[in-house]
Amino acid sequence: MNAALPLLRPPALSLVIGHWSLVIRRFAAAFVIGHSSLVISGISAAEIPDRLPPEIRPKPHVLLLSLGGTISGTAKERTNVTDYGAPRVGPDKWIADLPDLALYARVTPEDLRPTGEPPSMTTEHWLKVARRLQEIAADDSIDGVVITHGTNIMVETGYFLSLVVNIKKPVVMVGSQRPWTALSGDGPLNMVNAVRVAATPAASGMGVLHAMNQNIFPIRDVTKASAYRMHTFQGVDLGVVGVADPDIVKFYSEPLRRHTHKSEFNIARLPATLPAVEVIYGYHETPGYIVDAMVANGVKGIVVDGTGAGSIPNTMTDAIKKAQAAGVVIVATARTRGGRVQETPKRTESKVVPGDNLPPEKARILLQIALTQTTDVGAIKRMFDEY
Amino acid sequence: MHRLRLLLALVIGHCSLVIAANAADLPLVALFTTGGTIQSKGIHRLSLAEYNESRVTPAELLADLPELKSLARIEVTEIANVGSGNIDAALLLKLSKSITAALARPEVAGAVVTHGTGTLEETAFFLHLTVKSTKPVVVVGAMRPFTAISRDGPYNLYNAIRVAAAPDAVGKGALVVLNDTIHSARYVTKGHTYHVETFVSRELGPLGFVDSDRVVFYRNPLTKHTATSEFDVSTLETLPMVDVVYGYQEASAAPITALTEAGAKGIVYADSSPAFSKAFLAAQSKGVVIVMSDRKGAGRVTLSDRVAARNTITADNLNAQKARILLRLALTKTTETRQLQRIFNEY
Repeated sequence: MNAALPLLRPPALSLVIGHWSLVIRRFAAAFVIGHSSLVISGISAAEIPDRLPPEIRPKPHVLLLSLGGTISGTAKERTNVTDYGAPRVGPDKWIADLPDLALYARVTPEDLRPTGEPPSMTTEHWLKVARRLQEIAADDSIDGVVITHGTNIMVETGYFLSLVVNIKKPVVMVGSQRPWTALSGDGPLNMVNAVRVAATPAASGMGVLHAMNQNIFPIRDVTKASAYRMHTFQGVDLGVVGVADPDIVKFYSEPLRRHTHKSEFNIARLPATLPAVEVIYGYHETPGYIVDAMVANGVKGIVVDGTGAGSIPNTMTDAIKKAQAAGVVIVATARTRGGRVQETPKRTESKVVPGDNLPPEKARILLQIALTQTTDVGAIKRMFDEY
Repeated sequence: MHRLRLLLALVIGHCSLVIAANAADLPLVALFTTGGTIQSKGIHRLSLAEYNESRVTPAELLADLPELKSLARIEVTEIANVGSGNIDAALLLKLSKSITAALARPEVAGAVVTHGTGTLEETAFFLHLTVKSTKPVVVVGAMRPFTAISRDGPYNLYNAIRVAAAPDAVGKGALVVLNDTIHSARYVTKGHTYHVETFVSRELGPLGFVDSDRVVFYRNPLTKHTATSEFDVSTLETLPMVDVVYGYQEASAAPITALTEAGAKGIVYADSSPAFSKAFLAAQSKGVVIVMSDRKGAGRVTLSDRVAARNTITADNLNAQKARILLRLALTKTTETRQLQRIFNEY
């Protein structure tokens, strides 16, 4: 951009290293501790800028916890980005493929992928992961955690963890849209950035974060919004709290809804199974017999993803009243995916809990956890206001 | 009844007008009016873009909203009655000082400012950086004039006053409220020429919403502002001259040279051009501070040694008009490159 001006350093070096001021600081640190593979000779301390935020802990310990996902998937051809799968790569393979991670943290792998054929993310496995994460919270040797996950339901797993694990250290969910073997795969940079965020002290206390595409979202406020495009994770009403840019990880805001260390729920007090809660999608003339069938199957709660501002179709009204009479708690969300379901006199009278701005798949999780504590509609409404 | 109170307030010579003091336990909100579309009159009610010269007075604005009487006590101060294009440093300073003084009074819950939408984000950011209080400062406007069919002004003003009186709004700096949405003054920008849904915070998103049932916050801004800001305008009468240069293919350096000769203390550029480099060097040799912003509307200008080596400040994710506001204030404290970069990193 400005060839007329002299650069402080040889141009050749700057071509080699893109975001180099940060990298050089860390290379220099590596030089000091004698890690020979990372040494670039000829860089003196005088060239290290002090403009960037100081490194508080040069080498935080980040645990890379694999729950699998597309990011662990492989395919024979690099151009195959839809029909991939086994053999899956383990977390040690990511670390081996990404020496760059060592610039930011000491990363150790842990494999917590669900088993079974096909492997699936069950509630039982959620509880297992939550228990492990609660252990990690008490482990002083670990500074931050990265959790990989398939993108389809990663925010559900993450939201569950954010509600029931009391942890202050950074917890970062990451995945990819393209498999590990793909041409222009998004996995490697997502992984590097997730580790950077997990190694950032400012990420502490922020709850469970989601870091992909250089964006950082609270897990509560992010959703998958495209089937295949890489920029799939979006906030609907709300935006990012920070960015993982080439130079620095920066936070602009903090989430105010209760989570992790501010949550009243804890994995230690949860039962071995969660109450059954199901979702009904609202549309023109949604039949009431779907509600009847759910009640007959023993659900404790139903989330109706209502039309417009969270309206439950009239064709369901009688069935909903019957369900409530049988002790089933009803939560209304809005299929518009933007905007809160508000408290109105009509809704209060009908004892329907407004689902705030949660999508139904997340409202379901909160209701499941709420129902382990209470069936009181007022108490559950308070929880939907706060989480 | 209203008119009687207004008249009385005028007669006793108070520069502020107090109306609707029907319930002493309602929160007291200080309203500062500056004009803008929310106070403008169209030629007829379908005229959304063409306004008359005259604007409604603060009293007319409030008389239009009797619903406020059950919401808050309102104390009005007219700072100006102009379009946002006419807001200058003198008005910014007067507004900021007036708000700080009002919020220093224990009985005042918060402040609301009416403003034209064109430069609303600049005034809001200035207040975000300079008002010395943790109490809410809410800047509000309208996209459709006072006389328009389906005008947005009344509900926006009603909601702005709700936010100014909301305990959850304390400590969040200056806020911009239109269309039921609460934005941080730091992040918001005007993103459409005429639509009602114009104010957006791009990738960072809003802080919360003003819904019928309650005022809801989802985010707390982390950049420095108001009570934690280092900027003090209490003794300032003017602000350093800072201007903006827009970058595009084959952009000429002539504006940079002209601004330097005209005595600019700082220049913010929104994207570059090869011709700029030499002119920037000449400007810097005369003490002009150069700040690099961007014209794309989202994303940070990343910290780079190449830019730093040229003694150029990067504007983080501030757009050019907001980077200009911050630079004007920063230049009241320092002209040192590292200090200026620190300020742009922190605010």
